[in-house]
Amino acid sequence: MVAAVLGLKARVLRHQLRREWWRALLLLGGVVWSLSLIPATFWVQRYLSTEASDVRATLLVGFATVCVAGWLVVPLLVTGLEDALDPGRFASLGVQARRLMPGLTIAAALTLPTLFFVAVFLILAGSWRYAGGEAVTVASVGGLLTVALMVVTARVAVAWSGRLLSSRRSRWGAFAGLVVVAAGLGPAVWLTFRDGVDSALAYEIPVILEWLGRTPVGAGMAAPGALAQGDVLGAVWRLALLAATVAVVHGAWRANVEYTLVHPTFRGAGTRRRGDAVLDARQRATGDGIAAAVRSRSLIYWRTDPRYLVGAIGVIALPLVFFALAMPVLGLDQRWGFAAPVMLAASIGWGRHNDVAYDSTALHLDIVAGRVGRAVMTGRTQAVLVWAVPLVALAALGLLAWTGQWDAAPGLIGACTGALGLTLGISAVTSVLLPYRAPAPGQNPFGAEVGAVGASLVAQLVSGAAMAAALPIVTVAFVLSLTADARWGWLALVAGTGLGVAGALAGVRAAGALYDRRAGRLLAAVS
Amino acid sequence: MTGTDARATALSLRGLTKRFGATLAVDGIDLDIPTHTFYGVVGPNGAGKTTTLSMATGLLEPDAGAVSVHGIDLWSRPDEAKPMIGVLPDGLHTFDRLTGAELISYAGLLRGMPKDVVRERRDDLLAALDLGSAGSTLVTDFSAGMTKKIGLACALVHAPRVLVLDEPFEAVDPVSAGAIRRILRAFVETGGTVVLSSHVMALVERLCDHVAVVGGGRILAAGTVDDVRGGVDLEERFVGLVGGQTDARDLTWLRQS
Repeated sequence: MVAAVLGLKARVLRHQLRREWWRALLLLGGVVWSLSLIPATFWVQRYLSTEASDVRATLLVGFATVCVAGWLVVPLLVTGLEDALDPGRFASLGVQARRLMPGLTIAAALTLPTLFFVAVFLILAGSWRYAGGEAVTVASVGGLLTVALMVVTARVAVAWSGRLLSSRRSRWGAFAGLVVVAAGLGPAVWLTFRDGVDSALAYEIPVILEWLGRTPVGAGMAAPGALAQGDVLGAVWRLALLAATVAVVHGAWRANVEYTLVHPTFRGAGTRRRGDAVLDARQRATGDGIAAAVRSRSLIYWRTDPRYLVGAIGVIALPLVFFALAMPVLGLDQRWGFAAPVMLAASIGWGRHNDVAYDSTALHLDIVAGRVGRAVMTGRTQAVLVWAVPLVALAALGLLAWTGQWDAAPGLIGACTGALGLTLGISAVTSVLLPYRAPAPGQNPFGAEVGAVGASLVAQLVSGAAMAAALPIVTVAFVLSLTADARWGWLALVAGTGLGVAGALAGVRAAGALYDRRAGRLLAAVS
Repeated sequence: MTGTDARATALSLRGLTKRFGATLAVDGIDLDIPTHTFYGVVGPNGAGKTTTLSMATGLLEPDAGAVSVHGIDLWSRPDEAKPMIGVLPDGLHTFDRLTGAELISYAGLLRGMPKDVVRERRDDLLAALDLGSAGSTLVTDFSAGMTKKIGLACALVHAPRVLVLDEPFEAVDPVSAGAIRRILRAFVETGGTVVLSSHVMALVERLCDHVAVVGGGRILAAGTVDDVRGGVDLEERFVGLVGGQTDARDLTWLRQS
């Protein structure tokens, strides 16, 4: 069974490489990049080996924590964990999870990132060489177990988040949990760094890392430190704790594979709706009926489709990391905080650059209806504005209240409106011009379609570059109002609002025309 | 083609060609579907039926060739041609987070119809296709047959002149199939045109007055059902045209005794 699963993985990879040659370039690039980091790792190993053993252990715990957090978060944010071995594909074969798991586990271990991290952690284990052979052994075992923890955690995080989002009740639970984490993270980081980076590094961080060394996250790195100080028991229980955690998380992964094998992909969970949310949606008497229908339909999707919910939650990530992590850690001036709502507006807009593809082939309904591109793009953009405007306004108000700099309000409103409008306009155009395959309806929202990487890279680069070119236009005046003269804020207000509204309208109009012209190619591009 | 001829032809395909990579899926198909006919398109799996129908309805841009609906070029004047066609594609997703009722409303509103008309037709269609209880259920929870029926309702809601249906009876139960046949027959009797693709020869023989046999991306035979079958069973004729299986191997290991 192991050989069959691994053979399948190898064959899928070979076919992919044959069909899409640029994949080989990506793979090669990944290998070169990983290898280029190896000399630096040896340099770090030499540096660490000259430090005192407790300092060395602390630094390694910090490194492991960052890595574990990365493995947990990156697959969720960058929705692109390509998985040729999605257990759902084995569902019709009548294979038991018990027989499937060894193969899946080994396949997960044989990926480029896993091999890279194994190499890095083994090299770093060498930094214990002056503490004796036992310490190096313990460090190697701890390092391998830590990598194992990262690999299984990533699998479990993707699988279980997809499942959490598939029913309404668990969706609210997950959302509440996320809010609690986000609300807790900010104050915690601000508290840690309240007296500046140096003070935090000297007092708070070592305490946190010492505690992390007693959790599975850092136990593998702290174990050799304990051994070096003669605490054999401390080393043993840390490794045992880590091994037990890996086993438990691996069990959770297996439980999910078992579940996937007997549960078909997501269905509507028996939801019933009595009213007709499309026909009876409130709309202005003058509103275009087609655009209104598309808006109502899009709003139903934003409310209920896990893929859209993931997209909506994803936009908070960048501003949150900036505000709650980067600002306190770098000790930035309070005024930098104003960047957060602007970032939020821009990531909402940019995040929609593949909006059309999320319809998948359902967009045939729009295409057969005739030349409706303009109305379709208008309705879609309006649906985004329905939740984006209150969200950005809330963030801006929060920032103004936090800084107390209410005189920055006009400039902030201008910058936010401009960023939201321009990015939405750009996204409308790229989502018609460069759509790439998105997770199909009902599939795990965190999965990426096999074969989407090249097209998605191009679309993201183009829309990203367009955004990078457009954002300064609406933010420069605002920055000047904060740094030079507050009166610049009024120019920012006028320019941002004007350009934002004009950008969105022009983008939607251009996207609509493109939509009609490319109607016969869109369906093939998204399926 | 003169003006009257153009009007008498509901759907006209000229030199339609589509290539996917190295495969020539549709190889210069010419086909005229007269108004007021029930036209069947049959062919083996992979013959190019779905690709042809997709190009004929504006879903897939042809590499070459032209499509006209009642004399109006579909690809250059879509806003005049598309309102005349109702389309039921095969194997495509639909907006399945909507309920059945909402999906029909959506299709109607997209066609620019007024709300009260949409409401009336939506209720008529749900009743006529026996989808009453499905009106408040999400389409994602529908069975395959119900999904087909709701797709048909979306294709009918704007009262088109030409219906292009890809495998409309697949997975539909006999009772519903009877209802659909009744609806389509009445539609043709009152001057409408139906084009449907199917694998089931008996169904085509029973329902259609015209038939085209597609194979390898070309039209192998086309005309009235009687002309095409030429005195024999349509299925026999079909196998004769597309060629029977060359290696009819016996699976002796599958025998139970």
